[in-house]
Amino acid sequence: MKKTLFIMLCLAAALPAAAASPQQILDAYAAEAKKANPAFKSFSAEKGRAFYVAKQGATGRAASCSTCHTEDPKAGGRHAKTGKDIRPLAPSANAERLSDAAKVEKWFGRNCNDVLGRACTAQEKGDFMSYLMSVR
Amino acid sequence: MTSESRAEVSRIRVWDAPTRLFHWSFAAAFAAAWASGESDRWRDVHVFAGYLILGLLAFRLLWGVAGSRHARFASFAFTWREARDYGLRALSRNAPRFVGHNPAGAWAIFAMLALAAVVSVSGILVLGGEEQQGALSGWGRIATGAMVKELHDGGASLWLLLICVHVGGVVWESLAHRENLARSMVTGYKQGPAAEAAPSFRWFSALALAAAIAAFAHWYFEGYEDRAPGRTYLPFIGRALPQSAAWNAECGSCHLAFHPSLLPARSWQALFAGQDKHFGEVLGLDGATTAELLGFATKTSADAGLSEASFKIARSVPEREAPVRITETGYWKKKHAAIPEATWRRPKVGSRANCAACHLDAERGAFEDAAMHIPD
Repeated sequence: MKKTLFIMLCLAAALPAAAASPQQILDAYAAEAKKANPAFKSFSAEKGRAFYVAKQGATGRAASCSTCHTEDPKAGGRHAKTGKDIRPLAPSANAERLSDAAKVEKWFGRNCNDVLGRACTAQEKGDFMSYLMSVR
Repeated sequence: MTSESRAEVSRIRVWDAPTRLFHWSFAAAFAAAWASGESDRWRDVHVFAGYLILGLLAFRLLWGVAGSRHARFASFAFTWREARDYGLRALSRNAPRFVGHNPAGAWAIFAMLALAAVVSVSGILVLGGEEQQGALSGWGRIATGAMVKELHDGGASLWLLLICVHVGGVVWESLAHRENLARSMVTGYKQGPAAEAAPSFRWFSALALAAAIAAFAHWYFEGYEDRAPGRTYLPFIGRALPQSAAWNAECGSCHLAFHPSLLPARSWQALFAGQDKHFGEVLGLDGATTAELLGFATKTSADAGLSEASFKIARSVPEREAPVRITETGYWKKKHAAIPEATWRRPKVGSRANCAACHLDAERGAFEDAAMHIPD
């Protein structure tokens, strides 16, 4: 337990200085998920994909991640409200994605709240990331 | 200069070519400036006409000394009493005929030249102050430039009034003396005694003047030559405003990073204080980022009046109000009042928040009046 926390702290301290790999960020979420649920085994890209396209009615409108980011994470999207262009989400199409833990956490924070009306669990975040990383 | 005697009258040279070229260029420049004065779209035409008027005025002052006989100021330097008497006699259709300028016309000419100086110089001051553009860019504050504009507008109106008097006088005199004065300003010839003729039309000087006008026009409008679809030529580019990488990254990730100069500091304070309800979203910015963004916004807010738009936005927001939408400010509403609803709904526009759809310099935050292009 203490060891996990130590690793996570080291990771968190190292992240702002040097860009992390998506796998490092994913590992941190895995640790978090295990903490929340001792029965946790692994993340599933398959579940992540289902989550990515699932319509959520939380905020009074049916929206999903793909509403703005499009069904294809390799494609650029468009902000549903402001019309601002969004660069692709998949690291295979946009190397900047999933490379900064703080940024990843910031956008989960904003967008989960916006689409689901609540914070995402570590399991959901990890599945989502696994899906994006699996897209080639 | 003297009234016509009963001497032999024939077709003689009166207005030399540079005087005629000056006259019609001056008239055309005034017309162009007047027509483009209220338009942001044609601002560059207006400014070009203004510089041209100043240049032509300088030429006319030179030509008033170096020109041929009837172009020289000395040949029509009448006293006010002479002008008044002439005017009164003309009204009773009892005025003598002059080969050159008559005393009343001469006074109108000097008054128009003086107004041309006032209007063109004040125009350059307005451009340099209110717009922070042009030859005297940044000579004074935006508020000072806006004050000079009163003089510029008033002078131009007075000038138009004098042009009406001048044209009225030409028509009146043409009828009274049964000659077409306007045509003589084209051909240069009038009926008169050979002793009063100008010795030459001075074509070479006219050619030099024409070449100078053409060269200036080419230099001024050159930018239009390499326009291409997707590369609109901007005749005016607003001055560079302070930028912040953090601002552009944080704000720019969801929408255009509206420059802080577009709202007063109290609005930005309200906006960051309410960042858990940011137009329906939770921003969740950490303390350090919030402090950095708010610090930049406060420093460069509309209160600092860094651009014409920001100065006028600040002026239009009542002290006790702190709108968090730029579209709620009085100045924004006034400037966009004439835009029909259908334009807002065009696919390339879509929203009133999409400044960059029409304002080509929206990213820079300058919002220069003339840097506009409404998409189809």
